[in-house]
Amino acid sequence: MATDIEGIKSVTLETIYDTPEGKLIQSCIQCGTCAGACPHGEYMDYPPRRIIKMLQHGLIEKVFETDSMLKCVNCYACMVKCPREIHLTEVILQLVKEQTIIRLPAVPPELQKALENNYRYGNPMGESGRKRANWVTTSSVPVRILSQNPEPVDVLWFVESYPSYHPRGQDTCRALAKILNALEIDFAILGNEEKSAGECGMLSYESGLAEALVDYNMSVFAKYKFNKMITTDPHALDAFNYRYKLYDFGYEAQHAILFIMQYHDRLKPLLKKTLGYSVTYHDSCCLGRHNKFYDEPRQLLQLIPGIKLVEMVHNRLNSICCGGGGGGMWLDTYFKSQNMERLSDIRVKEAIETGADILAVACPYEIPRFEDALKVAGYDKKIAVKDIVELVSESMED
Amino acid sequence: MSKTTGNTRTGFYICHCGTNIAGTVDVEKVVDYVSKLPNVVVAKHYKYMCSDPGQEMIQKDIRDQNLNRLVVAACSPFLHERTFRNVASQAGLNQFFFQMVNTREQNAWVHLDALASTEKAIDLARSAIFRVAFHKPLEQKKVPIHPGVLVVGGGIAGIHASLTLANAGKKVFLVEREPTIGGHMAMFDKTFPTLDCAACILTPKMSSVKNHPNITMWTYSEIESVDGYVGNFKVNVKKKPRYIIEDLCVGCLDCIDACVYKEPRFFDEFNQGLSKRKPVYIPFPQATPQLVVIDPETCIDFKSNKCKKTCVDVCERKAIDLNQQPEHKEIEVGTIIVATGFKPFDASGVPYYGYGVYPNVYTALEVERLINASGPTSGEVVMRDGSRPEKIAIIHCVGSRDKNTNLWCSRVCCLYSLKLAHLLKEHTHADIYNFYIDIRTPGKMMEEFYYRMAEEGTKFIRGRVADIYPDLTDEVHRRLIVKAEDTLISEIIKVPVDMVVLSTGLEPRADANDVRRMFNITCSTEGFFIERHPKLAPVNTFTDGIFLAGCCQGPKDIPDTVAQAGAAAAEALALIDSGFIELEPNTAFVVEVDCSGCKSCVPLCPYSAISYQEDKKKAYINEALCKGCGTCVASCPSGSIKQNLFEDEEIYSEIDGILNYTNIYEVSECC
Repeated sequence: MATDIEGIKSVTLETIYDTPEGKLIQSCIQCGTCAGACPHGEYMDYPPRRIIKMLQHGLIEKVFETDSMLKCVNCYACMVKCPREIHLTEVILQLVKEQTIIRLPAVPPELQKALENNYRYGNPMGESGRKRANWVTTSSVPVRILSQNPEPVDVLWFVESYPSYHPRGQDTCRALAKILNALEIDFAILGNEEKSAGECGMLSYESGLAEALVDYNMSVFAKYKFNKMITTDPHALDAFNYRYKLYDFGYEAQHAILFIMQYHDRLKPLLKKTLGYSVTYHDSCCLGRHNKFYDEPRQLLQLIPGIKLVEMVHNRLNSICCGGGGGGMWLDTYFKSQNMERLSDIRVKEAIETGADILAVACPYEIPRFEDALKVAGYDKKIAVKDIVELVSESMED
Repeated sequence: MSKTTGNTRTGFYICHCGTNIAGTVDVEKVVDYVSKLPNVVVAKHYKYMCSDPGQEMIQKDIRDQNLNRLVVAACSPFLHERTFRNVASQAGLNQFFFQMVNTREQNAWVHLDALASTEKAIDLARSAIFRVAFHKPLEQKKVPIHPGVLVVGGGIAGIHASLTLANAGKKVFLVEREPTIGGHMAMFDKTFPTLDCAACILTPKMSSVKNHPNITMWTYSEIESVDGYVGNFKVNVKKKPRYIIEDLCVGCLDCIDACVYKEPRFFDEFNQGLSKRKPVYIPFPQATPQLVVIDPETCIDFKSNKCKKTCVDVCERKAIDLNQQPEHKEIEVGTIIVATGFKPFDASGVPYYGYGVYPNVYTALEVERLINASGPTSGEVVMRDGSRPEKIAIIHCVGSRDKNTNLWCSRVCCLYSLKLAHLLKEHTHADIYNFYIDIRTPGKMMEEFYYRMAEEGTKFIRGRVADIYPDLTDEVHRRLIVKAEDTLISEIIKVPVDMVVLSTGLEPRADANDVRRMFNITCSTEGFFIERHPKLAPVNTFTDGIFLAGCCQGPKDIPDTVAQAGAAAAEALALIDSGFIELEPNTAFVVEVDCSGCKSCVPLCPYSAISYQEDKKKAYINEALCKGCGTCVASCPSGSIKQNLFEDEEIYSEIDGILNYTNIYEVSECC
């Protein structure tokens, strides 16, 4: 990632060669791995390989005449497999995508609405900001809210929008609260003061909106004293560790699963209930391919007594995106209008094929996406979608 | 400048090297400046100083002008120092009254600013002129060369080098780590581009090695240590116990039949695990030597000591000795050829190709065994699930050209992939798809081979494979889908196939770094051994007397490996037949009157050249072992160690010369 804020704000396709990441495209051997690896590659008029060649030849305006880059779900599949280690997802495609969206005759309404909601309410679903911490009232353990009790705290838990509002996301929140409480962690949340980390703005790509949210959240962080930050949302994790860093965010954010794994000695005796499930784990793109955390979620699952881990055909580095990244969360209708097969549908078929009872996830986008895909596929009774922290919490009940 | 004794008369010569030097450095300006320096009698520039007229010009000046010092500013001393030393000695001057200035590699080639480059040339010239005044006449010591040669590695490179040397009458020790010689070539079925059978051309050479009176072949053996220097190496070899008395075993193989394991059940290394072997086994039918080996990892007797030892009982010649211990041999040789070969890339390193996950994904080496008539299926291409493939994908560049694995092109994969396409088609009549990034077929008859393979109807898809996964909708066959972009039509294609062949690249051996240290040679960051010069000394190493052959130096095909092995043998022969080597006289010596006998230098010497003389209580430096690194000189507390060509006044005057900067442009204007 570029490290200079001004550089990021002002970068254009003309200046792409000025960055070290941009220079790398000169070493492209046009092998097509990116296009083959892209889960939407077959639907793009110009898949990543051709975009790179067109960039090299100065023909990029032609790319903007199509919606190719709107179909990028920021899943890092092209980037991790690129034999020249070109930073496709992190830099090159983002820049092209931003320009594509700017020049689209009309932004798809679903996405437009989500962006507007984020701007007005601080969450993409358009819920009231005052209801953000409502889930706390149904938590079985006390959850401290900093605005009510601003004493310094060890761990600030950034809840994010889907876990705060979506009913299944709230299940995840209550589960994590219970685990943190059992591990005797000094933790707190921002409550209604929190707004979306701005990830969807960045990835889909609307940098003005993202910056407004970054500025807002940074001003809230400045009010409180805490030592570390955790979140269950890998997208927010990336926002903090890559984007917020450029705005002097001085913490290393950690995904909740990695945080919990640090306490596995303390956690293990708490996991008393045997869960006789066969579980398959879906590697989320940001946690897996982007941050290379493949083992930790599996290790946490294997701490739970009775769990049998089975793998899907595509796993770890080769996992298939749920289709929610890069704004895909709000493009389902648009993709359907283009006759594209939904990625979450493909993914749940692989999960069902394993014969597992549970499809375990570690990203809040995935529960609604996979549950919906299961309904469409008519498989809803055969396999349940659960966040890993829900399974850990379930095993703590006696 | 310090005072020198006597009348110093220096000649200075700067070479244009065509335009290599003169294109950047203003040679006339350098000559103009240098000619005004003290002690300089002659200063000249010339187009090619190393040419005959150039050399004759210098020699004429030495004679006519009574020159007693010579400085030549030209290319790297590596290239022509010897040339100009000869010029000096042929004109009657001691060759060490000469100093060379590197004005090409370290100046003209690396600078763009002509003015600064000219100033640098002048500084370096002045420095050399100041220094050479203090040079002393030195003699080169001659050391005899032991005629024996050690060849490390018994693949085709080691085999060819050994035979070449042995045929020239030299004694060769061939040391191979595995129980048989033959290396990777013995595993191949046929060879490109001629499609001759690998065994047919290799096994006769293997048996020649075994039967050659001049070759001592030690298999199942490893080098433990190497001491000494060019011409005089001492090498320790460990012969691992194969639990067979070699002189008694006749290779009847009765012991294998008699083994308490009725069926073979352990990983067969030679067949890449596609078949099983017993704890007592012979790697393959043509193994050389024809001796069985007992694997202590799987033999019951080594684990529980409770085996019935049916193998021992059946052996009429009493050749089995389960208590055999490692044997240690010390040998003396004058030269060493390192031919330790390569390791195929571990295909599971590209996880999305499914090697080790899907049984019908094979490596190329496995397929070589599968096709081979003496392989695990006697040459029938039957897959692990028992079926015969009707559609086969061959994936190029697995573990090559990829920054995530190995960046280099492994050079042989395109051609062996084409070969496998042909052989698989011949054996199965399957449809073959080659997925490639670029087809690279350099070398004699190679493009013609490609043409021929294309004509046979093998399909070519230009695109690097991005994913291989089983087709979940195909309940019956569960074919593997190979997904790639066909970049030439810009379409994402998914080809269902029965069998996938991964054309894995070539890597350095895992222990290349240990080998490098043992032989005191160098390897690149990736681990291939580095040749002394990529063009002009391709089989030499930076350590005199040690040569390279085959894939340990970099990926190459069999013709190139054999050519390189021959070249390494020729280099070794040239050295041996010269009878002696001349040592560079830049060695350190102890001024005994000043030495206090503190011994601090003794452990510092990286070449173990310093010993302590108990009788005199003084340190002693063995000139033949000293490499002139200067460590002892710098460390001696009493300053009693000096080094030829690097004595204090030589170094200080050189520094004086560098620091004695004058602005040449002002000088030339005022004069």
